[in-house]
Amino acid sequence: MAQATSSGWRISVDTGGTFTDVVIADDQGHFTIGKALTTPARIYQGLEAALLAAAESLGLGLTEILARSEIFIYGTTRATNAIVTGTIAKTAFLTTAGFPDVLVLREGGKFNPHDFSKPFPKPYVPRRYTFEIDERIDAAGHVVRPLDEEQAAAVLRTVAARGFEACAVSLLWATANPAHEQRLGALIEAELPGLPYTLSHALNPILREYRRASSVAIDASIKPLMQAHLRDLQADLRAAGYQGEILVSTTIGGCIDVDSVIARPIHTVRSGPAMGPVAGRRYAALEQRSEPVLVVDTGGTTFDVSLVRDGTIAITQETWLGERFTGHMLGIPAVDARSVGAGGGSIAWLDAANLLHVGPQSAGAEPGPACYGRGGTAPTVTDAALVLGYLDPDFFLGGRMRLDAEAARQAVARVAGSLGIGTEEAAFSIFAVSNEIMINAIKDITVSEGINPAEAVIVAGGGAAGLNIVPIARELACRGVIVPRTASVLSACGMQFSDIQAEASASAPTRSDAFDRRRVNDALAGIDARLDTFAERLAARGFAAASRHYRVDAHYAAQVWDLAVDLPAARIDNDAHQAALIEAFHDAHRRVFEVDDRASPIEFLGWTGRLSIALPEIRIAGTGGQTTAAPAMRAVHFDIGGPVPTAIVRGDTLAAGAVVDGPAIIEEATTTLVLPPGTRATLSAADSYVVDLAN
Amino acid sequence: MKPLQTEALDQGTGSALSPMLLAVLANRFDGVVREMTNTMLRTGRSAVINSARDFSCGITTADNELFATAEGLPAHTYGLNLQTAAMCAFHDDIAEGDAYLHNDPYSGNSHPADHTLIVPVFWQGEHVFNVCAKAHQADIGNSLPTTYHAAAKDIYEEGALIFPAVRVQRARQNVDDIIRMCQRRIRVPDYWYGDFLAMLASVRTGEKRVHEIFAKYGPDVLRQFVREWFDYSEARMRQALRGLPTATIERRGAHDPLPPMMPDGIPVHVKLTVDAENGEVEIDLTGNIDNMDNGLNLSESCSISNSVAGVFNCLPPDIPRNGGSYRCVRMKLREGAAIGIPKFPHSCSVATTNVSDRLLNTVQSALSDLGEGYGLAEGGVGMGAGFCVISGRDARHDDHAYVNQLIIGNNGGPGGPVCDGWITYGIPVVAGLMYRDSVEISELSYPIHYREIRLTQDTMGTGRRRGAPGVRITYGPSHHPMTVVFAADGQVNPARGVRGGGDGNIGSMHIIDAEGAVTRAPSVGQITLPKGSWLSGIELAGGGYGDPLDREPELVHEDVLERYVSLDHARQAYGVEFMGSADDDTLAVDSAATAALRDALRHARSN
Repeated sequence: MAQATSSGWRISVDTGGTFTDVVIADDQGHFTIGKALTTPARIYQGLEAALLAAAESLGLGLTEILARSEIFIYGTTRATNAIVTGTIAKTAFLTTAGFPDVLVLREGGKFNPHDFSKPFPKPYVPRRYTFEIDERIDAAGHVVRPLDEEQAAAVLRTVAARGFEACAVSLLWATANPAHEQRLGALIEAELPGLPYTLSHALNPILREYRRASSVAIDASIKPLMQAHLRDLQADLRAAGYQGEILVSTTIGGCIDVDSVIARPIHTVRSGPAMGPVAGRRYAALEQRSEPVLVVDTGGTTFDVSLVRDGTIAITQETWLGERFTGHMLGIPAVDARSVGAGGGSIAWLDAANLLHVGPQSAGAEPGPACYGRGGTAPTVTDAALVLGYLDPDFFLGGRMRLDAEAARQAVARVAGSLGIGTEEAAFSIFAVSNEIMINAIKDITVSEGINPAEAVIVAGGGAAGLNIVPIARELACRGVIVPRTASVLSACGMQFSDIQAEASASAPTRSDAFDRRRVNDALAGIDARLDTFAERLAARGFAAASRHYRVDAHYAAQVWDLAVDLPAARIDNDAHQAALIEAFHDAHRRVFEVDDRASPIEFLGWTGRLSIALPEIRIAGTGGQTTAAPAMRAVHFDIGGPVPTAIVRGDTLAAGAVVDGPAIIEEATTTLVLPPGTRATLSAADSYVVDLAN
Repeated sequence: MKPLQTEALDQGTGSALSPMLLAVLANRFDGVVREMTNTMLRTGRSAVINSARDFSCGITTADNELFATAEGLPAHTYGLNLQTAAMCAFHDDIAEGDAYLHNDPYSGNSHPADHTLIVPVFWQGEHVFNVCAKAHQADIGNSLPTTYHAAAKDIYEEGALIFPAVRVQRARQNVDDIIRMCQRRIRVPDYWYGDFLAMLASVRTGEKRVHEIFAKYGPDVLRQFVREWFDYSEARMRQALRGLPTATIERRGAHDPLPPMMPDGIPVHVKLTVDAENGEVEIDLTGNIDNMDNGLNLSESCSISNSVAGVFNCLPPDIPRNGGSYRCVRMKLREGAAIGIPKFPHSCSVATTNVSDRLLNTVQSALSDLGEGYGLAEGGVGMGAGFCVISGRDARHDDHAYVNQLIIGNNGGPGGPVCDGWITYGIPVVAGLMYRDSVEISELSYPIHYREIRLTQDTMGTGRRRGAPGVRITYGPSHHPMTVVFAADGQVNPARGVRGGGDGNIGSMHIIDAEGAVTRAPSVGQITLPKGSWLSGIELAGGGYGDPLDREPELVHEDVLERYVSLDHARQAYGVEFMGSADDDTLAVDSAATAALRDALRHARSN
């Protein structure tokens, strides 16, 4: 059994739209899970219920648990939900005169050129809440048109008179010269004291006016909401007697103190999906896997994929809230977690010429799959899994929910009838097509990062992950699969393993053939100055051991999409550093795209520094082997041939080192692992099922 | 009569695939084209590729049927098959490891600026598929610094290097002669070579993935899959066409006058016959004028793909576009016609946009004659100020030469039976797929300064579903003089509405000199802007669909709030009266006054 290196307990909480997941790690590294319904009106109520559920498993009281805990890490979908549903503050958008439609025109793009049945998306801030400011700065940072302060003041009087609740300011080239934005900030403070506002050069100094403006609009629009939300949570936790540190999980897969996110609440957006790869990275490391790690999280309606390479989680500048092109771009660096509409609730359907499709429509949680017996009649992937024998109708969610096998069968039989095949074959077909969609999603991320899936291992999380991950991994020829016992709460587990992280960025465009070291180093110094303020505040709270890493977004001259490359040092102050940076870009380009172009100049644009402070490392201790029971047998389908007698193994009968050979199904309280014939799972000392597929 | 269907593949030995395998393999091949597309998008060098997505990837069968295209431009949906057929006709020693460069509009390409790389894919010595990547180049060595040479009276004046399926790789190694020829002739050879590498990465990736599919499923299953996939696609198309009313429709359209070449414009003539009983459509383009002595002739592939795209635009959007669905389309084309099959050496330099846009518009709007709920209005056209090719020298980088097409303007999309126009539509042949340049990236990459880009008000074709607005855009050079080359349309003929919907606005381009004097720019030509002067364009809105008096008042209310429509225009064009004011968030529809006004307007109309 592994030893803990932290003396205090640690609580992590992931409040989703439906459920609040809690993981409590004790000083021995045992993880205890609690789940409860989320209570949006006062988030602490649901959180307390989930804590109580975990406390009950531990045989302790809430007060005792809070007293033993030193670190509390909070993750929330509150901001994401507010953005997606549009329940945000009435926000004024101030932009350079002549360019009022930045948020409408975006960066263009559409999926299907022949589809004229979808409306054009509305801008994040309506045009009627957009105000043009008389000013203009050019690409070199020169003032082309001075800020007209009178005109700006008149706009701010309108903003005041019309009851705006927040103000977003994003001017062209504020990244090259922030003077006008800074002056507008001062005017807002003077004319509208107390009004939450965000300036683009301060929040997110990146090039490309749409994504910068989008990030600014999003940040400003959720400030009132998130500030209240986090302050309430803080107050409620203190009132409950918790005295330790409160951290909030962030978009880049780290966590940070509450005050930092209150100032920039956009950093809480999509923090849930960001935590999947943090968990995946640790689970893979615990199994001593050094390959690239594909982390998948299967829910009822979405399938998230992210990637870890050399211990580094892939980061993207292009995160969409909602669908690509029609949602809103987050605009800040975020963990590259790509979602496709595929999950247990995905509905199988036939088109006009009888081709089988699965999703993206989902039965969701209500009415849910036909087998939930809540009025759903459409056949879903979960129904197919039940027909195939992967799920035990009496042991779903550890027996807390009974599934209606007959309803599932009837739903799938309708598809089978139309296709003229048997019900089991139809169920397996649904399953296989659903797997294909997930396989394509995995390929999408591996392609854009230049990874060969055959060299990777998969860490699978989410309640439904174990049903299909082994066949998916086999199809991709992956080297292995790791399914943690705590797979169903992957995000909350990720928080247990996350570090405190803060990032600061600066825009300083320069080219490899005329590299402006001074400009770059000035930008890096500015980044360090901002990281220093984080470091000082955190050091005062006892988090001192900080490290810093730097990266730059770059492309070959006239390319427009960037690759991120790590800097060889904190400053580029000699020829060797410069040469190493240039070489690193060529290498990255060749790795991702299989070609490089050494004759071409490289443009370096956005520079980012990351401050990391490792929290005391949590080790995971095994929990199994508490009970004994002989495996049951069930007839299970693994292809479109006949059923195979299959061992059904209860997870709580297994202890570290246990080996289960397929065909078998391992049933845990919150997840199920399906092992097709010819595969083998081993329960590791770190409490994960490991399926080795390397041979 | 020239039917599109080609011979079926050799008979395979397999029996019918399981429904599972059909669906799984369909996803697999979709994934291959997607991966090729992503590779190209992320590695392309010129803005026309990586911003405008002016490229497409696809797969044809070894006997040259179009097999898979994903998310490609409508203008590129057809023709890869003609190009791979040309490759097979021109070479009797095609081997694994080859790659061919094709940009010949007389043997299947769209226009010479679309370089196409074709890799024949072999499995166990058998030629099984071709993977193709087609991308619009920033420059192709024309006599003028533009890839759209409207005035070119023939291919010689046009001046591009033409590659009729020329081998550029043997045993996976470049044929350096060809590369050197391109690098000598093409302006900004580094961009060209960068895009060439992007295309190469794309097709080699596609080849690798097709090999993986063969390794897993074997040639027999795949032969069977190809056959069933074509049959499935045909069935989908036939079903959709059976849902249309049987009719024969003639419709005319016109490209703007092009003095002095075509002072009366270029007429477009389309005769469509929908045969609902058999689930077929015939597109007859033989009534079009003879080839012109300019660069606006359509290639065969543009004539086919843009007219068929007009049909696809009016059908369920998920019908696969391949040799199977094309079996239901009969094309009638005339050799030597401006819209048809071009006769060498007539130039097709501008084939992919201007007349193609008009052709596509004419087809989709013709289908609206089938009745309410069918067809679309016309979309905004014209490669106006926001789509020009700019060139010059960049003082910031040692006077290095630059040339590139701007993709930063916008014409609005057409109203349809269901939706208002799509705003970032661009032009009909790209239908919203393109990315728009960022102002900041454009100003960083080129010595250009923008003064304004804003959507216009009251310009859209009115309708129950209105068109989308275009933009007003103004820019000029930030250092040295800038050459701007354009071949615009829509400065005389708007995008027309259908079924009672109104036309969109008419576009314009003006030059503003350093003193502020404004002169009208020609619609086709080349100008040089010195620092301090500006080019300002008003681009086109899409046409409307249906009677504007039937537009839901709450939608007009939203349009007024969002300033797409002024209060006056709302009253006059839509018959909607308001109370309150948008300035204090009290604006509301006056329902009684609106009903009365609409009655009065309808009454006035019938008199």
